[in-house]
Amino acid sequence: MTAVDTDQPPVATPTSWTARVRERISRIVPPGQALPDRQPAYMSSWIYVFGVLTLAALIVVVASGVVLALGGVTWWHVSSLGHFVNSLHLWSVELFFAFMVVHLWGKFWMAAWRGNRALTWMTGVVAFLGSIGTAFTGYLSQANFASQWISTQAKDGLNSVGVGAFFNVMNPAQMLLWHVVLLPLVLGVIVVLHVILVRRHGIVPPIDADEETAS
Amino acid sequence: MRPMILLADGAGRYVSSGVIQISVTNLVIIAAMILVFVLALVLPFPGRHHQDSSDRDS
Repeated sequence: MTAVDTDQPPVATPTSWTARVRERISRIVPPGQALPDRQPAYMSSWIYVFGVLTLAALIVVVASGVVLALGGVTWWHVSSLGHFVNSLHLWSVELFFAFMVVHLWGKFWMAAWRGNRALTWMTGVVAFLGSIGTAFTGYLSQANFASQWISTQAKDGLNSVGVGAFFNVMNPAQMLLWHVVLLPLVLGVIVVLHVILVRRHGIVPPIDADEETAS
Repeated sequence: MRPMILLADGAGRYVSSGVIQISVTNLVIIAAMILVFVLALVLPFPGRHHQDSSDRDS
């Protein structure tokens, strides 16, 4: 413990690692911007809704996936509740991709990488590509004729680019682990980074709006 | 017992134009997404008129 003289101004450089981490976290996003209750006027458009719709669909994807993991393959193939959760997982993924692509179109046409937002754009790109890989391994993990068909069709393409040696789409156990552990972990981190960067730099204003006056 | 024959080529309808071949289902989905995108741009957002008339965000 360190005695603190309350008459003295706070020390500029914290000496303990916890204080330094706390300072660093507090400076990640501007004050009040982590969970804002006011937004710029230009955000009064439906096109700005698709980012959070994508996040909402992702939450349903993850939650239904967790329930599927609890029940296992036979459960989602033979029981009524398993069929329902399986369908919920599939259709939330379909909506996730539909929302994400409309979000991508909107951000592309408004050049959302403007104003020092290149890293926000790139984390979105990586999240999109990672989502495709996660969905692909999900289709390979269905344990039905469709997954067998997809794996045998995909193996030739992946072997032709030399990744089949360590990413074997005809190994269901490997694909299931990529789908439920590795890719969701990576995707989760990237999505969190993306959202933090959005809050850090703010929502990009329309092209004809002044950055300073629009926010 | 009669043998069951699966004809995969009878499943679904496809639209072909040169090297491009796409199922009608996928084409409809893409058209619907474009429609949603356009509607998101042109439909008024609830409360927009009210916010524009105030100086809340200025």
